[in-house]
Amino acid sequence: MEEITLKIDGKLIVCPAGTSILNAAEENGIKIPTLCNHHSLKPAGACRICIVEDETSGRIFASCVTPVAPDMVIQTASPAVLKHRTNIVRLMMAEHPESCVVCGKGNRCELRKIAAKLGIGESTLYPMPNYKRLEQANPFIVRDLSKCILCGKCIRADHELVHAGAIDYNLRGFKSRPAAVHDLPLEKSNCTFCGTCISICPTGALSVKSTYTGTPDREAVSICSFCGIGCMLSMGVSGNQVVDVNPAHKQGTVNEATLCVRGHFANDFLNSPDRLTQPLILGKGEEGEDELIPSTWDDAIGLVAEKLIKIRDESGPQSIAFLGSSKCTNEENYLFQKIARVALGTSNIDNGGYIYGRQLLSLIERRNDHEGRYDLFAGSLSNIETADIIFLLDADPDHSAPVASYYLKRAVSKGVPLVIAGTRKTGLAASATSWLKVTLNGDIDRICLELVNGMSRLILENGGHDAPFVDRFTEGFDQYLSAISLVDVNQVSSITGIDSDTLEKTANLLKGKKIAFVVGSTISQLRYGKEIMEALLNLALATGSTNYNRAGFHVISKESNLVGAWHRGTVPDSLPGSYFLNNASSRKQWEMLWQKEISDDEGLDMVGMIEAAEKGDLKALYIMGENPLRSLPQPERVLKAFEKIDFLVVQDILATETTNIADVVLPGAAMSEKNGSVTNMEGRHQSFNSVVRPPGKAKPDFEILGMLAEKMGVFKGETSLDIIRNETMQLVQFFIETGEEGYSVWIKDPETKAELEQEDEGLIGFSPVVSSKDVPDDKEYPLTAILGSQRYHLGSGTRTSRSMRISELNGMGRICISPKDSADLELNDGALVRIVSAHGSVEREVQVDKGQCNGMILIPTAYNNNDARNLVQLTRLFDSETPGWLSCRVKVEKI
Amino acid sequence: MKPKEIDWDRINEIIEAHKGKKWALIPLLQEIQENEGYIPPEAIEPVAEALNLPPSQVQGVVTFYAGFALEPKGKCVLKVCRGTACHVKGGQSVLKTIKKELDLEDGQTSQDYQFTLETVACLGACFLAPAMMANRDYYGKLSPTKITSVLDQYGKDKGDD
Repeated sequence: MEEITLKIDGKLIVCPAGTSILNAAEENGIKIPTLCNHHSLKPAGACRICIVEDETSGRIFASCVTPVAPDMVIQTASPAVLKHRTNIVRLMMAEHPESCVVCGKGNRCELRKIAAKLGIGESTLYPMPNYKRLEQANPFIVRDLSKCILCGKCIRADHELVHAGAIDYNLRGFKSRPAAVHDLPLEKSNCTFCGTCISICPTGALSVKSTYTGTPDREAVSICSFCGIGCMLSMGVSGNQVVDVNPAHKQGTVNEATLCVRGHFANDFLNSPDRLTQPLILGKGEEGEDELIPSTWDDAIGLVAEKLIKIRDESGPQSIAFLGSSKCTNEENYLFQKIARVALGTSNIDNGGYIYGRQLLSLIERRNDHEGRYDLFAGSLSNIETADIIFLLDADPDHSAPVASYYLKRAVSKGVPLVIAGTRKTGLAASATSWLKVTLNGDIDRICLELVNGMSRLILENGGHDAPFVDRFTEGFDQYLSAISLVDVNQVSSITGIDSDTLEKTANLLKGKKIAFVVGSTISQLRYGKEIMEALLNLALATGSTNYNRAGFHVISKESNLVGAWHRGTVPDSLPGSYFLNNASSRKQWEMLWQKEISDDEGLDMVGMIEAAEKGDLKALYIMGENPLRSLPQPERVLKAFEKIDFLVVQDILATETTNIADVVLPGAAMSEKNGSVTNMEGRHQSFNSVVRPPGKAKPDFEILGMLAEKMGVFKGETSLDIIRNETMQLVQFFIETGEEGYSVWIKDPETKAELEQEDEGLIGFSPVVSSKDVPDDKEYPLTAILGSQRYHLGSGTRTSRSMRISELNGMGRICISPKDSADLELNDGALVRIVSAHGSVEREVQVDKGQCNGMILIPTAYNNNDARNLVQLTRLFDSETPGWLSCRVKVEKI
Repeated sequence: MKPKEIDWDRINEIIEAHKGKKWALIPLLQEIQENEGYIPPEAIEPVAEALNLPPSQVQGVVTFYAGFALEPKGKCVLKVCRGTACHVKGGQSVLKTIKKELDLEDGQTSQDYQFTLETVACLGACFLAPAMMANRDYYGKLSPTKITSVLDQYGKDKGDD
């Protein structure tokens, strides 16, 4: 690339042509003040603060929008520049209200900083305040547009980063302001309250609605503990409380300048009065009743160790189960499963990721090349923006993992074709290149499977496969091809309700391309979850869609460490490093390291544990950071099963339905209160340090497990993160270092293309093509309900429902119903209904939704103690003989 | 008297004709403005949906250009020039006279939706100063009598007869 030499403030600088003067200066340590520039946004030249003077031509121009030119001699602070810059700031201040003392932006206000640097106290110009009404009816954002300087950052962040399209400039000249359509308040617009605009706003025009006003004492980096994106946060701390959360605005992080409503606003759950602050042991209360009584750490840990060992000795190791957490760190999950495997000898180990798709990860891993020559995990989300084509199935990342949906929307705006298959007109479906609008002729589980089969056939017919890849890495392709060729497209069309013409057109879009698959974690909750995933994997292998081609699988993960917990072996079927238990050689390696024999029998999974407890086979259960009584279907059944367990230990941060019935409660720490590392849905490994101390006597979870491990003889002496990390690294390759600023980010890059010439041994096979079975219509329950998530809550809502801001939001949790169905049932917006399934019922208000497909209603999960799960049956997931948890047949009754 | 009823069939036809063409936003809006005399705010969302644009962006374009209005205008839109040449030639009193005659302020529309009074920075017809426009016609070298006759021509007090 052409290089250009110029002088800035006397310094000789060489930079590529096309660089802006502002960036060239910044890269060489020369800071030019600016209000409207941000590294994640395109330059706009709106504020004119960054003006510089070119001595050669004598011209003054905005450095953010002027590219470098040869022989420029730039002065960033010449007398002329300073004079003009000062006048621009004075003019801004003449329009700005004099409310700095009470302004929530406090010392972080960029305008105030720049004014102070330029020595401007009073503007001495005639004040022309531009008063607008203050908007603060929603629980998240306060808009005081009298403080707006029209830098356009909020609008550009909306359009370029988040693609919500909620705001744009309204009116012109002095009256111009960012506004939602019809100048409505944000809560009545399509604003998603991601809060990206707040943290990017240089003044107090946009701020967080908070009980805390002003500048926090200090800011520190942490990782968001909600969904599996793993956004890097900057947390503002006052005393020992997190009072403010913003994106860390660091380049190279997954979110950079963006966040979602949960990450930005729901972290106030950290200060909830429901936080556990001391160990509790079940004992007799003053009136002789069973009651959880505060205790000391020594007593609590001593009791847990003693009881677990006693139960192991009396009833055998398989009478003990360990349920770890897809929300706890890698180190904690490693230690957790090690205690279970080594100290107690049980392989009944699982984590909450059972509900949110950890099975999908194993399935992908099983089809991966063992030598890493190709990777079906798609890796960095940024690959989406340069993918050939995206195929999204059964996912609404707009709600489940909003930051992933920003990537998708940005990809579409860059011209990457997006194919969406789904029943709802989601925000993404509106912008998709092809939206395979499923209509409901069968059940949703069936439709998804048949659709994938039909599409595979159409894509692969007439040589649509990647022959070199298939020959090199796979076996049995011909059998697969002949099986898939038998799929009857007309039948697929009649089951899915998509006409065969559309199917064919869409298949042609996908044909010959490397496909980036985006799948929702809830696929694992479908009846045919396993079969759908297998079918997609077949298609990926046949088309050679892997990481090396910026393709492969992005599995939207709803839990912050779903991948990490799986990878660290807190699962019944594999050991740390995702070595499968039935792989004898890797099992040997762990046996050597741990000096302990490991059985190759798979242990109980999460539902298996409940079933074993029901039968009375399970004597002890140790739960870390999960709340099965809120997250699993049929809570009464789960409760009854838990009551049969002799000894229940629950380690959590909040008092939950599950801690209430425990024998010992151990208060752990939230992500921002401990050191550790997590792995996000991309496989990005992020280590972080604590921002605040855990409340009261609560301890970081790895310390609690460390005490237990020491007591049970798993480790000698005190355990530290370094000890755990070093031990893990002996067999699992990872980059783990705490960077200078207390955090580090690492993601595996596909370094080279798969080398096709080499000889190979272990070929990967195709799984059989499976078709679905018809389920007869149920006259009693005419509608299909889908349990879906809404962006304000995560998972079952244990944490988000403790957020003051989220609970202040009115009218939430409504079921979505199509206009036709609502007319048939004579329901208006806001009508109260009872939704009844064969297993239970819930009461909700109705919202008529044009994007909803006829015959289907969407019931948001997490509301009202997550009562939506009452509608489905607790059965094993990933088993086509059971109905799954995602949908069920219901009837709707008006109340 | 009420403003003209919104012809939704016609608006939907116009939108349909431009569907999917992002670049056609301004011609589309112009056509609606032409047909209805203004852009009904309720039309913003359908326009945005058809062009796959955020509604706020469509509104931004509508409110940016003086050529678009979100409120119904009178049958006759008067644009009085406030340019330098007209000012020197007594443009201020032209505006004053009209305001008095029609009992309207700048930017207002008469209750019978006959007249809308607007001012513009310059009509580019300085040789006619002081000048104004009524709908698409220019009227120059204005005097109080000439103003009255123009207003009469465009139906002032018609309703009273």
